[in-house]
Amino acid sequence: MKKPITIGRIFAYVLMILFALLTIVPLLWMFLSAFKPHAMIVRQPLLPPMTLYLENFRLAWTQGHLGIYFANSIVYAMTSTIFTVVLAISSGYALSKFSYPSGKFIYALYTLGLLITVHSVIVPLFIMETKLGIANTRFGVILPYIAFGLPFEVFLATTYVKGIPDAMQESAIIDGATFLEVFVKIIIPVATPIISTMFIYTFLGNWNEFILVLTLTSELAIRSLPVGINSFAGGMSRDYGLQFAALVIGTIPMIIFYLIFKDKIAQGFAAGSTKE
Amino acid sequence: MTYTQQKHMSYWILVLPGILVFIAIIMFPVIYSFLLSFTNWNGYGKPSYAGLENYKTILIDPVFLHSLRNNLLIIAVSVFGQIPLGFLLAYLLHRKVVRHGNFYQTMIFLPITISPVVVALLWNQIFSSSGMIVALIRSVTQNPQYVIKIFEDPEFAIMPILFVLLWMHTGTYMIIYYANLQKMTPSVLEAAQIDGASEAQMLGRIILPSMIATIATTAIFAISGSLKAFDLIYAMTGGGPAHFTEVIAIYMYVNTFKYYKYGFGSATSIIIVLLAVGLILILQSISKKFERRYE
Repeated sequence: MKKPITIGRIFAYVLMILFALLTIVPLLWMFLSAFKPHAMIVRQPLLPPMTLYLENFRLAWTQGHLGIYFANSIVYAMTSTIFTVVLAISSGYALSKFSYPSGKFIYALYTLGLLITVHSVIVPLFIMETKLGIANTRFGVILPYIAFGLPFEVFLATTYVKGIPDAMQESAIIDGATFLEVFVKIIIPVATPIISTMFIYTFLGNWNEFILVLTLTSELAIRSLPVGINSFAGGMSRDYGLQFAALVIGTIPMIIFYLIFKDKIAQGFAAGSTKE
Repeated sequence: MTYTQQKHMSYWILVLPGILVFIAIIMFPVIYSFLLSFTNWNGYGKPSYAGLENYKTILIDPVFLHSLRNNLLIIAVSVFGQIPLGFLLAYLLHRKVVRHGNFYQTMIFLPITISPVVVALLWNQIFSSSGMIVALIRSVTQNPQYVIKIFEDPEFAIMPILFVLLWMHTGTYMIIYYANLQKMTPSVLEAAQIDGASEAQMLGRIILPSMIATIATTAIFAISGSLKAFDLIYAMTGGGPAHFTEVIAIYMYVNTFKYYKYGFGSATSIIIVLLAVGLILILQSISKKFERRYE
């Protein structure tokens, strides 16, 4: 069925195209600029690169230490996401299927945690980590990453596991299974869809995290990609070519990640907005 | 081991590691921060009690008040910009007004994956004197001397940042509303259509009322997210020039980690939490009124 052309449809197309261009044009410009030497970026900002100039990438990766930052980012995001998801799904099972009074209290604590931002704990966290001697270590970054992922992921896991019929658990218990066996053999397989959503959503947040690494680390060797890329803007390099190459290196993996997992990421965002 | 013992033990094995990490890393520091906010500790020696001194100093500091104003502008942009635009885009996609809706959706949602630091540096380049916008304006107006001056204006320096925030987050709201619109039962809309309801009537009488709870929830996100705004602004301007683009989180960061005013910084972060809670309570009472009207 062909839809008639109306003012409403024209307006809709204009809006959609405008927003799509607002995403595409800046990213395309960034991508093209990364293949241009500094002088050309400054003098001819709108022209595409004339040759395949790869020097920016080579220098950014080696001199700018982006290789190290990249590896650190992977370690931080992977490790903390695995811990957050495992802790969240096990808490989700305990808080939704055991109906102990302490469960209500613990769930309320996590809900309170949703309101608490990194900024309200960064000062004492920094002091604590310095006293414990874990400031400026990878462990000192991963630990708060795990903790800050928990409130929202526990909320997602609890809501989901609550929806799994009790009958599945009960019949297994009658057959002599322990609760931990039920968790591993029934709950985890049934909850796979939410586990993958949680994983991808948490990973995305951890990968882009900035202020924790900025304040809790000072050594270059353990800093992550966002903090490393930010140092390109400061006094370190006035070479725009290097800056653009750094931005491209920071962006491309995430765009690929996004194109593969778009639906899961969307689910993560949408799940937080639904009222129980 | 009896059944009850086994159940009890399993429960604690499942729940304890998570809650311990949470309490140690989040709850304990929050209380610590609250206590520190009544001291003038500078990181060394024993903290001395300062009563409400920090709070008094902050609340009359012009830099803080300007930061607060910038935070309120950020909230205004998300509540009156990102949310309505996100809803409009979601609605158009949901009603399948345009073809290839999936493509537009993918593009508009894409900025969410890009780290705020990358977004900041990219837009700094775009706004810079060798950036895309200046180059375009220069070639259109034939004025090779054109530069963007807005960053030096105390009142308007925040505007480009507001625009970038809109660019970053509109897609998120679109995706949230789109997912919730998909959940609506189509039969209600079909029945209304058969009864001859116009597009505007369906939107105003059926769709919007059913979305109020979602919109209120996203507005809560918007407020708490806006008060947290740090990464993007820190990387774009660092709050400068001369505090023009400073927000409360940056005010806190600078005072704490540059001037080592730990007590003062803690008081600022407590103010952020109180502001968030206050605004969210106001919002909830407003949305309750709306919900009642539609009942």
